[in-house]
Amino acid sequence: MSLLSVRNLRVTFDTEAGLVEAVRGVSFDLGRERLGIVGESGSGKTMTGRAVLRLIRPPGKITADSMVFDGQDLMAASERDMRALRGPRIAMVMQDPKYSLNPVMKVGAQLMEGLRQRDKVSAQIAYDKAIEALEAVQIRDPERVMDAYPHELSGGMGQRVMIAMMLIPNPDLLIADEPTSALDVTVQAEVLAILDGLVRNRGMGLIFISHDLRLVARFCDRVLVMYKGKVVEELAAKDLLAAKHPYTQGLLNCLPRIGGPRQPLPGLDRNADWAV
Amino acid sequence: MALIEIDNLSVTFLSKGHKVHAVKGVSLAVEARESFGLVGESGSGKSTILRAICGLAPVSGGSIRIGGQVLNSKAGKSFAARVQMVFQDPYASLHPRHTIDRTLSEPLAIHGLGDTDARVMKALDDVGLPRSFRFRFPHQLSGGQRQRVAIARALMLEPEILLLDEPTSALDASVQAETLNLLNRLRAERGLTFLMVSHDLAVIDHMCDRILVMQHGQAVEELTRDALATAQMKTDYARSLFAASADRMLAG
Ligand SMILES: Nc1ncnc2c1ncn2[C@@H]1O[C@H](COP(=O)(O)OP(=O)(O)OP(=O)(O)O)[C@@H](O)[C@H]1O
Ligand SMILES: Nc1ncnc2c1ncn2[C@@H]1O[C@H](COP(=O)(O)OP(=O)(O)OP(=O)(O)O)[C@@H](O)[C@H]1O
Ligand SMILES: [Mg+2]
Ligand SMILES: [Mg+2]
Repeated sequence: MSLLSVRNLRVTFDTEAGLVEAVRGVSFDLGRERLGIVGESGSGKTMTGRAVLRLIRPPGKITADSMVFDGQDLMAASERDMRALRGPRIAMVMQDPKYSLNPVMKVGAQLMEGLRQRDKVSAQIAYDKAIEALEAVQIRDPERVMDAYPHELSGGMGQRVMIAMMLIPNPDLLIADEPTSALDVTVQAEVLAILDGLVRNRGMGLIFISHDLRLVARFCDRVLVMYKGKVVEELAAKDLLAAKHPYTQGLLNCLPRIGGPRQPLPGLDRNADWAV
Repeated sequence: MALIEIDNLSVTFLSKGHKVHAVKGVSLAVEARESFGLVGESGSGKSTILRAICGLAPVSGGSIRIGGQVLNSKAGKSFAARVQMVFQDPYASLHPRHTIDRTLSEPLAIHGLGDTDARVMKALDDVGLPRSFRFRFPHQLSGGQRQRVAIARALMLEPEILLLDEPTSALDASVQAETLNLLNRLRAERGLTFLMVSHDLAVIDHMCDRILVMQHGQAVEELTRDALATAQMKTDYARSLFAASADRMLAG
């Protein structure tokens, strides 16, 4: 049985300017594996991830034929049930980490909050665990960072703090929205190794949303390609760089390369038929 | 004389008893019309250097000159028109209660420029955002759409120097290509000067003539584009960045 099963997920916003259909009938299954989601900016990747946690703000609406996590029907779950799932069972690393952290609370307090309140550990143990989590994501001076406010962090440090915070409660499913876009390639490799280890050794399921096609191709097991709110292609990650769908191929052609020519990068002829 | 001259710059943040030496004696010079890249470790001080140029960081040593003039801390109106920055966190740099329209038209009003409607529409077109997004708020946009608003805003005043902090990290490959092409076209047409930060060495290689590699607040090594493409780096750290980018080489 899969860890997460989603059928015909839709997210719509009723705005003054009309109905925005952000997600239009997405279906997928996730096992204890690394599932990549790639696709155009605005194609509904973030809204798909947030919908699984039922974190769509009004006027947004979620519908689905079914959305089941580890045997539990997420569409039928009460708000109270959802709160119990968010964090300990399903965690999400948000695309704008510094915006998602509490701006007026020190990083350390935010990291220790769950440990203190949910796991009821002592202040000293919570502190040690938080330091350990920061060291794991390659934060150089964890004591200083514990005492800092989010605005005192660099972009990539904010991302790593968010990842550390989401991993502390050992979730069964991690939805990571562009989790390494602000990391240099060597720190990125360390963070990916942690995620990889959790999938392999603890059987965590990972949804990895990213614009970096080459990263997804080498890191994930399977990939969904989204376009205008729909999944237009699903394939093994190792086949991504040889994708057949014209949209996916078009995306790959747009990438710059080290040592490549300086002329304008090829664009993409968007085709309305891809997402009908 | 270079257009941007940074000489032995140090930046030290004071935060509750901790002294954070974010930038330690970094020097660099960017010629007019040149495109200069900053790469390196997360937390190594790249954004802080850009912020210091805008007068937004506590400089504790060294100097910054733009066109030969030493920057004073009160960056005035004329400075803003010359130098614009695209911040790394578009969410944090866009006012949450201002529509896209207000965000884009406000700089025009402050600088007494007319033709607001046409300029706002043009800016949306340039960064590939539908005109129908004009009256949306930042929270009604996707991450990449917000990043494009930030780029559009920086271009409103037709600045001469653009400081670009990870300008395409939230964009898909096709919008990234369009944005990089737009930036390069504007640089050629208007003779702009770029100082840009990116973690993607392929983006840096495509956009920049010279590159400074940073680690721990210090400059590690300066490279030309050719030296980067042909792996002629001298330091271990620069080499490790290159080695970890093997998936974006021309042959690969
Ligand atoms: N509150 C809202 N009201 C109206 N439309 C919205 C709202 N929030 C998001 N949208 C729209 O929903 C669509 C999907 O957004 P989503 O954030 O899922 O995109 P994404 O695939 O994550 O893009 P990116 O790669 O740029 O982050 C976008 O076109 C966005 O403009
Ligand atoms: N307002 C502040 N107060 C205290 N420390 C700060 C502040 N702003 C930045 N720092 C610290 O300065 C150092 C450099 O940060 P900076 O944002 O310049 O890094 P960066 O090279 O841009 O990293 P990234 O690639 O992750 O964005 C970091 O250690 C950061 O915590
Ligand atoms: Mg998104
Ligand atoms: Mg930065």
